[in-house]
Amino acid sequence: MKKRILTGAEIIWECIIREGVDVVFGYPGGAILPAYDALNNYRDKIHHVLVRHEQGATHMADGYARASGKVGVAMATSGPGATNMVTGIATAKLDSIPIVCITGQVPKAAIGSDAFQEVDISGTVLPVTKYSYLVMDIYKLASTIKEAFAVARSGRPGPVLIDIPKDVQNETIEFVYPDEPVKLPGNNSPLEASEKHIQDAADLINNAKKPVILAGHGILLSGASQEIIQLAETASIPIGWTLLGAGSVPASHPLNMGMMGMHGEFAVNNAIQDADLLIACGMRFDDRVTGNIKTYSPDSKKIHIDIDPSEINKNIPVDVGISCDLRTAMTQLLPHISRKQNNEWIKTISGWQSESLGRDIINVQTDTLYGAQVIRDIWKETNGDALIVTDVGQHQMLEAQYYDHEEPNTLLTSGGLGTMGYSLPAAIGASFSRQNKDIFVIVGDGSIQMTITELATAVQENANIKIAIINNGYLGMVRQWQQLFYDARYTETPISSPDYLKIAEAYGLPGYRVHKRKEIPGVIQEVKKIKGPVLVEFVVEQHDMVYPMVPAGADLNAMISRPKNKQFQEA
Amino acid sequence: MKQTLIVFVQDEPGVLNRISSHIRRRNFNIESLIAGQTERKDITRMTVVLNEPDRTKQRTVVNSLKELIDVYDVIDATEIDSHIREYALVKVALKKDDLNAVNKIVESVHGKIIDGTSDATIFELTGYEKEVESVIKALEKYDILEIVRSGKVAMVAGNSSKHQPELTKSEPNWTTSRILESY
Repeated sequence: MKKRILTGAEIIWECIIREGVDVVFGYPGGAILPAYDALNNYRDKIHHVLVRHEQGATHMADGYARASGKVGVAMATSGPGATNMVTGIATAKLDSIPIVCITGQVPKAAIGSDAFQEVDISGTVLPVTKYSYLVMDIYKLASTIKEAFAVARSGRPGPVLIDIPKDVQNETIEFVYPDEPVKLPGNNSPLEASEKHIQDAADLINNAKKPVILAGHGILLSGASQEIIQLAETASIPIGWTLLGAGSVPASHPLNMGMMGMHGEFAVNNAIQDADLLIACGMRFDDRVTGNIKTYSPDSKKIHIDIDPSEINKNIPVDVGISCDLRTAMTQLLPHISRKQNNEWIKTISGWQSESLGRDIINVQTDTLYGAQVIRDIWKETNGDALIVTDVGQHQMLEAQYYDHEEPNTLLTSGGLGTMGYSLPAAIGASFSRQNKDIFVIVGDGSIQMTITELATAVQENANIKIAIINNGYLGMVRQWQQLFYDARYTETPISSPDYLKIAEAYGLPGYRVHKRKEIPGVIQEVKKIKGPVLVEFVVEQHDMVYPMVPAGADLNAMISRPKNKQFQEA
Repeated sequence: MKQTLIVFVQDEPGVLNRISSHIRRRNFNIESLIAGQTERKDITRMTVVLNEPDRTKQRTVVNSLKELIDVYDVIDATEIDSHIREYALVKVALKKDDLNAVNKIVESVHGKIIDGTSDATIFELTGYEKEVESVIKALEKYDILEIVRSGKVAMVAGNSSKHQPELTKSEPNWTTSRILESY
């Protein structure tokens, strides 16, 4: 092979193309200029999306990664460009999303001198990345990029940052792509579970009378949906899921009870508290799903399968802790599971379910529009087949409750970090991979205003996303807490909005406003036909609440239930 | 109970920061942390002493350290037969008459004088924590000017393969691409 003398900047593109990257979300600036200049030689292989804020770039990379299963890539300059990425990086860390962020840095000699636009970004992101690199030697550039991608997508996935000084981008060397596989000292969770663990888990499952499967994000990441369904069907085990586990099991599956946790279904939380066995699959017993950990599922044995060994026994002590790839563990486990029926248990749970269904707002005629109704109608009009990207707040919980996901990877949401402003950029990122799907952004009036600048990016890229703003004139979830726990003192939660139709017009995308429920089907059908971004504002009831709800730190089954129909009819 | 960990990490810039930051982030209190070279050029060995009474949490910190990219292996020296020792220097202003008595105390743990000027004497002590502490306590009735302690180093007894660290790199497993299969 003939020698190729390349600059560091060119090596960046050569390496990420070899990782299968074809789209990069970024924003140029002084210290990353050499890389941007070199981009001109790679236009045929890389599509660069110019964002309007670097936080948007990281959320787009995150949305792209969640929707595609590939590693998302974001790029920014040093200093403020890099620090603007921190929120997006932390979002990806908490939700185990593989993204690689490439930042320019001031020249090597200037590092540590408080130079213009200098920030120690590899140090800054240390606690919110899986790993962060500062490449001081151009000879290590290619191997570092290769390692970064391996780190991001291996084991429990996560974000990685590579900081590259400007002079390293400008230096030239003979480019040799490292052929040898990446090897690391740590991060080597095994693929398989030990036979003893599998046997212990199988014994517990075969002897359980009141088992529950807790379905988490790990099912999506390891592609274990089929195996989980098979386990549930074989041993007659009802399933509750975490927010990020939505879609891991089809919503219409008879054993799927619904979401667990703070705004989970009464029946699911009750089942967890009453169970004699929990089988936790690819989830981490976050405080939003456990409630008070001291009283959490007190009488159950617990099996916990997670690829990250540090999750086992972290929040909830378990009887059998298996840390390996979930799908592999399930494949090992299934032959040991005996077929049986837990009719009594299923019947008990059904009793709890029918109680909550009877109280549901979506079946009630109201004068004002409710957020839950909007989401339920979007579900209906998209046949439950859209890719939904939500933001954070009431609308997020309502989406989880009222949009039934039949397929894995059809809900993108910031679950762990709860990052407001996530949805619009994440949906733009997702639109680069899932062109066969309708993509709906479900976002509140507070959240949209955090990253509304990315509307320009959506229009520039003609991203095929439908933005549904659920506008209640409040930071609704915070207002809900104020109503319940702060004697209805609505401190700084009423929030004004711009005229969204004018915003849409100014950015150059079609805009709609909906006040009445009967208008929803027509509008949804109409916007589905438009190729490209569309904004729809739904003006909804201001003082709506998300029920059921477990107050923070309370016992999981001490829920505030949905109000009865009657109250709505009187209102 | 204190927990003493032997952590084997790759010798890379910033690795000390990564380890200490990780432990701090998990809300564990570090009593001492020292790092140094080993028989292998590319590996740094740290001895970390933590003040965490809860056994379950102690195991969690071991597991979470093992998950770090830089960490080859972690051995919990608290759980197995091992020697956890430290080094200390104590500077004392001594009257001539006291020298003999003090020497006796220090020699009981095989310590020695490494510097004796007219106004101050420096003693060097090594040993298990208890030994070093008992000497320091005995010296308290004299005029102690300065104390410096190294923090602890630990080594596992014997040569059993059970307690050998795993010091090889391996290819990470990744299964995230399975999302792609579902389309």
